Amino acid sequence: MVFPYTRRMHNSDPSATSAISDPVICVEGLAKEYRVYDKPEGLAASVRSLFHRTSRIVQAVKGVDLTVGRGEFVALLGPNGAGKTTLLKLLSGIITPSRGTARVLGHVPWERADDFRRRFALVMGQRNQLWWDLPAAESFRLHQEIYRIDPVRFERTRDELVDMLDVRRLILQPVRELSLGERMKLELVAALLHEPEVLFLDEPTIGLDVVAQHTIHEFLRGVQSRRRMTVVLTTHYMKDVAALCERVVVITRGDILYDGSLAEIVDRFTTHKIVTLDLDEAPNQATIERFGFPCECRGPQVIMRIDRHRIAEVLPAILGSAGVRDVSVEDVPLEEIVAELFRSDARDAATAAEHAS
Amino acid sequence: MSEVIIRPASPFQGLRTWWMMLKISLEERLVYRGDFALGTLMRFLPIVTQVFLWTAVFGATTKTDIAGYTRNDIVAYYLLTMLTRAFSSMPGLSTGIARSVRDGSVKKFLVQPVDYVSFLLAARVAHKLVYYAVAALPFAGVFVLCRSYFPPVPDAITIAAFVTSLVLSFLLGFFMEATLGMLGFWFMEVSSIVFGYMLVQYLLSGHMFPIDLLDGVPTGIAGVSLADVVHWLPFEYTAYFSSAVWLGKVHGDRLVWSLAIEAAWVVVMAVACRIAWWRGTRRYSAFGG
Amino acid sequence: MSRYFAIFLTFARACLVRDMTFRANFILECVTSLGWMSMNLAFYLLVFTFTSEIGKGTGWSKEPFFAFVATGLIINSIVQALFMPSAEELTEMVRTGGLDGVLVQPLDAQFLLSMHRVDFSALANGLVGVGLLAWAVPRLDHPPPPVAWLLYPLLIVCGVAILYGFVIMLAAATIHMGRNQSLYDFWFYLTNFSRYPAEIYSGPFGGPLRMLCTFVIPILLVVNVPARMVAQPFTGQAWGGVAAAVVAAIASLVVSRFVFQRALAKYRSASS
Repeated sequence: MVFPYTRRMHNSDPSATSAISDPVICVEGLAKEYRVYDKPEGLAASVRSLFHRTSRIVQAVKGVDLTVGRGEFVALLGPNGAGKTTLLKLLSGIITPSRGTARVLGHVPWERADDFRRRFALVMGQRNQLWWDLPAAESFRLHQEIYRIDPVRFERTRDELVDMLDVRRLILQPVRELSLGERMKLELVAALLHEPEVLFLDEPTIGLDVVAQHTIHEFLRGVQSRRRMTVVLTTHYMKDVAALCERVVVITRGDILYDGSLAEIVDRFTTHKIVTLDLDEAPNQATIERFGFPCECRGPQVIMRIDRHRIAEVLPAILGSAGVRDVSVEDVPLEEIVAELFRSDARDAATAAEHAS
Repeated sequence: MSEVIIRPASPFQGLRTWWMMLKISLEERLVYRGDFALGTLMRFLPIVTQVFLWTAVFGATTKTDIAGYTRNDIVAYYLLTMLTRAFSSMPGLSTGIARSVRDGSVKKFLVQPVDYVSFLLAARVAHKLVYYAVAALPFAGVFVLCRSYFPPVPDAITIAAFVTSLVLSFLLGFFMEATLGMLGFWFMEVSSIVFGYMLVQYLLSGHMFPIDLLDGVPTGIAGVSLADVVHWLPFEYTAYFSSAVWLGKVHGDRLVWSLAIEAAWVVVMAVACRIAWWRGTRRYSAFGG
Repeated sequence: MSRYFAIFLTFARACLVRDMTFRANFILECVTSLGWMSMNLAFYLLVFTFTSEIGKGTGWSKEPFFAFVATGLIINSIVQALFMPSAEELTEMVRTGGLDGVLVQPLDAQFLLSMHRVDFSALANGLVGVGLLAWAVPRLDHPPPPVAWLLYPLLIVCGVAILYGFVIMLAAATIHMGRNQSLYDFWFYLTNFSRYPAEIYSGPFGGPLRMLCTFVIPILLVVNVPARMVAQPFTGQAWGGVAAAVVAAIASLVVSRFVFQRALAKYRSASS
């Protein structure tokens, strides 16, 4: 069966539809709403709340379409409260949706069939799924029982994973005695023991130091390519995305804002590049004005933002100017692009809310 | 309960802070809106079982009263102990003090011109007032429903004695638990001591049964029953005494010197609490905490 | 399924190891529960100085009554040891989102959530219960026949099953409300009615209450049926009690499972 890419939301590029062979995750019109009760502030409101509580409906996920093929490494990128964790919980069957359909590995996730649950794994950052009082080695054995892993395969997989992450000396200690980074590594080992076909990661590197983040990135890359595992990762760190994924799904306020490759984001959402000039000496006002572009000066260094389409014509002129020792042309950093994406989306939301009220 | 620093520059300041404490307690109660309405009524449920039990006990015996209590008296007694215990029980007081010693938050009371014990007492008064405000309706409802079990309303003197004993039982309960909590200055784990206290309280406070039932229990000393011994201990004044006063089981001379014993115990425990605070803080400062 | 049993043994072993590691705490917990229990026993002894029987003509004199209390201790200690610790932890799990991790595992969630923690110190009361039974039974006027001893363990299991159903329904309520409700409070109020022989519930209020707690919320079947089996003379009527207990046990398990599955289906999950 071949599924075309489902239609993307407003900003996505319609010309990039391609067929996905062997789709593993198919989501159509998936939505989740919550009724949230307002918390009373102050004494009078508290008494009133005894008799009448006001509530409103929060739309965590608003009719999302998504298709992920086997072996893909997809990042769900979005600010806090965007709905990416809710989407992940829907796909792993933890909660049931208000509307829409989804199929993961051919199963409907929220039916929580044992066959389905044996084929995927979920790892949540800062939340423990290992049994707190047991040493990790015991948790692994328990995992083997629960997932019915063949003993020979289990030993081999476990040893392989434990060595890849270099945690052999930790597995006999009770999990509660370990640091956050160490626990995360052990969680990853536990998650992969049953060789899942799909791996869901919810903010796996949150709260970890740089070294631990890097180790985990390396590990995930290695393991994913070797086993052709489909990985969906939620994060709000660009670092995770840049290190791991070719495909990014940007989610804000329950909607998919963009679905495509990382490289494309730069192409589509930036209008300019950053040109950095190293001058012989700090420029004066006249020099700056001569360049004709908004600049930021740091001593002898001048940083300018130049329209991408005009780089070709402008650059020679700049290079020809006296006193230019070095020039570099870079893309706007991903963090900035994405942050601006979120900001502009939030602005749109605010104006829409204003117009609605 | 939120930690509030009192700087009583003037009596109005202290009052204002106390009023804020009151409001916060009330809000906290109201957060658990489902809880308090149902929860207050639920507390009466165990009495239902006890009523049936005692009815069955009286049913099997030919006596009309046990140790001076008729079946109706016993029901009224249990209902009254709910009321008296609402005055004298201090949930979390001892463990709270011990914890603040352990984690060092007691330090700010060593440094600032505020008396820890007075602060705790004021906080408890606020808490209790809030509790009475929200529990008054359910309590009143139950008592009206069960008024047939009660003897006629006693005379003015008895009522005055009753109210006095209630106020004293509040203070007694407070100082006993506060002193217990102060032991946290000397012992790391106060929970075993608190448990022992709770156990003795459970048995001797009158929570389970009227102390008069111990009239027939011998102590090995001629003419002295277990009840006589317990009357000299502070425990019965947290539940049994006030209830017995209202029911008219304690009157005349005995009423007078019982009140005196209760008052004496209040003084003793207040002094003990004060001494424990002095010695404890001195020790604490010496060891750096 | 033997797989579930093997997994349960792993959990139990881990808890035992932990309890032995923190031995002082374990001993304190045992002493605590024994302490409360002995206070109650002292109270019963006191009551029996004023009367020879609880309820006229009911047959619950001192020794049968203590056999009743012993049965209650045994059943309650099993429930407190095997199911309550996990159920108590459920409120925390719902609050912190640990429940999510349980829902993605290919194992029955009810099993995991009600049996992953064992409190061995709760068995102390049960052991005392056995001792109390051993004291009371030889002193009975009517010693129980062999068939009663065959049925007694079965009825203990039925009692445990009925209580387990209640634990699960309270757990389902916890999941549904997502609030930190004190499970032990509810539990105390519920089991409070079953502390004494059902015969005490008589009269205009007691009669209906007894019916309610026998046929609608079968809390009175838990201790009464097995206790009567050994403490009271064995008559043909006893079979009726056995049947009621078995039916109630099965009904309790079935209904509670249904309620629990509904609660899981509507699970909201803590916001991240």
